[in-house]
Amino acid sequence: MTVELETANNHGGGEAVTALELLQREKECGSITTFSSQLDRALKGGLPVGKVTEICGAPGVGKTQLCLQLSVDVQVPLSFGGLEGQVIFMDTEGSFVLQRVGDVAAAVVRHFSLVAEDGEQKDAMQTFDMESILSNIFLVRCHDYVELLAELHLLPDFLRDQPRVRLLVIDSVAFPFRQQLDDLSLRTRLLQGLAQQLVSIATRHNIAVVITNQMTTRLQDSQSHLVPALGEIWGHASTTRILLQWEGSRQVAAIVKSPCCMDTAVQYHITSEGFRDVNQPENSDQPEIPLTERRSL
Amino acid sequence: MVWDQLPLPSRIRSALQRTHLKSVREVLSLPAVDVQRLTGLAQPEVHQLLTVAAAVCRRHAPLTVLQLQRGECRRCESGLRLSVSCPVLDGLLRGGLPVGGITELSGPSGAGKTQLALQISLSVQYPVEHGGLGAGALYICTEDSFPIRRLQQMISEQAILRSEVPPSVISGLHFSDHVYIEHAADLDSLQVCLSRRAPVLLAAGLVRLIVVDSVAALFRSEFQTEDWLERNKQLLTFSTMLHQLSQEFTTPVLCINQQESHGAVGSSSGPLSSSVTPALGLAWANQVMMRLMMLRHQTTVSRGDQSSTLRRLEVVFAPHLARSKRDVGVWREGVRGVPVLE
Repeated sequence: MTVELETANNHGGGEAVTALELLQREKECGSITTFSSQLDRALKGGLPVGKVTEICGAPGVGKTQLCLQLSVDVQVPLSFGGLEGQVIFMDTEGSFVLQRVGDVAAAVVRHFSLVAEDGEQKDAMQTFDMESILSNIFLVRCHDYVELLAELHLLPDFLRDQPRVRLLVIDSVAFPFRQQLDDLSLRTRLLQGLAQQLVSIATRHNIAVVITNQMTTRLQDSQSHLVPALGEIWGHASTTRILLQWEGSRQVAAIVKSPCCMDTAVQYHITSEGFRDVNQPENSDQPEIPLTERRSL
Repeated sequence: MVWDQLPLPSRIRSALQRTHLKSVREVLSLPAVDVQRLTGLAQPEVHQLLTVAAAVCRRHAPLTVLQLQRGECRRCESGLRLSVSCPVLDGLLRGGLPVGGITELSGPSGAGKTQLALQISLSVQYPVEHGGLGAGALYICTEDSFPIRRLQQMISEQAILRSEVPPSVISGLHFSDHVYIEHAADLDSLQVCLSRRAPVLLAAGLVRLIVVDSVAALFRSEFQTEDWLERNKQLLTFSTMLHQLSQEFTTPVLCINQQESHGAVGSSSGPLSSSVTPALGLAWANQVMMRLMMLRHQTTVSRGDQSSTLRRLEVVFAPHLARSKRDVGVWREGVRGVPVLE
């Protein structure tokens, strides 16, 4: 069975690949661990490289924390099964705080120092330290949506010069697009263009694209529901959507859209070290909660 | 914007001159297909135009976090913090208020929010080496009149509150001269104050802290539920203005909010007269970088000849802080955290 892949831009013409080749390519792409083994398991390995993943949630639930964790995790050396890649972090809200990145990086270095076994891993730890981790994170600060769009126009050239980048984070896409943009139809068209750009960057440069989104309220049947912001059309931008939410005092990560994973939810919490599992020794055989048993969004 | 100044071929330049587009920002705020339609250029030329426009628009090339940490970019996130004049509370906040973004201080009335805001309006005036920012504060009052007597009392006791600072430094600071007080009765006058008065004071370096006491006007249901869109728009305009000022002048912004309960994010303050307030509550929370809450307790705590009702200052959320709290007392000299006993 042959699948004809036609690229819609002027970089290369149509290319025919088999479904098997596509599957192999996907397997080789790899994924970025979240450092929460339950979430990694639910995502079948972690955040997929070559795809766009959206993280939504209310303020303070941990979206930026997960992004910071991924920015360090993408750098884990190959000998530990990591991608040894670099990251571009586009911060639109000013929530990228140096102190916090330091915490997360230090904890990851500590963890791998303890588990390093063979010579190759111990060698890798010689160069996997705080300084190298900080030097592999490129920070771009965007003050409004025009600056964000500008940075995305310049991204392909930057990525050609920096082939080791394996992760692009935009935290958040919602913030700049919900300010100063009164013309909603223009906003929708800009977001559609943005979505296409992100997919193209993810596939062409073999990068995991992670975007964060805010929540908004929608009135349905005279009841207000929390839904991801930026409208329904934006909902199609990402391959996978992870919803972070509070359930009482617990924090839950729900995978609400994914081509390969069942709708599941896992509990997590943010520690001084970063994004982590919640230790549940009693329930260790049943960490995941099927989404159908929970109240729907 | 004169298109001649851009490194573009003349064909693209003349196409641009035929349009109504006047700046690189205008070009970049349109979808690429719109630019193509307006200019009549071919797609590769539009791509070239957008890339050149983007390069002009960009403030500086991406820096690594290591470079940031080494202070290689003055205008970027530097980890600078504004101390709140109490080592216990500075410890809770890992240094103090961040200089970019909006910090919200909410809590029921009488909790001591204004007390803390007054204290921070004084601590900003200390030099950087003593945790301040070496400039004054713009204090915008929307509710009651400004508590001038309490401020004077706190000023007279600064030597006691900040006993670690050399007395010569303290006596050299003319505190009351550098707290600029404005009254704004409603949202409109609040916007006017932010768009006219604030930029002047900030640009002149006279002020490096903006306090809004309080933002309750944003949530007051003066309008019908149908005006929710209008209210939401006003809220966004207001918060956008605060963000722009904060970013342009690396100035901390402290917004005081009335909140009766610790509800989950999105729950509203005060009497729930409409279903509008939770939605506005969430819209506002999305604009806030750091949310602190001050609560009042039943017990009292004493120090020397003074006694105070115990309060608690809590971090509800912040990108760099754990959800923790400290007990707090409000004294003659100001707000002090109770040291954590091991």
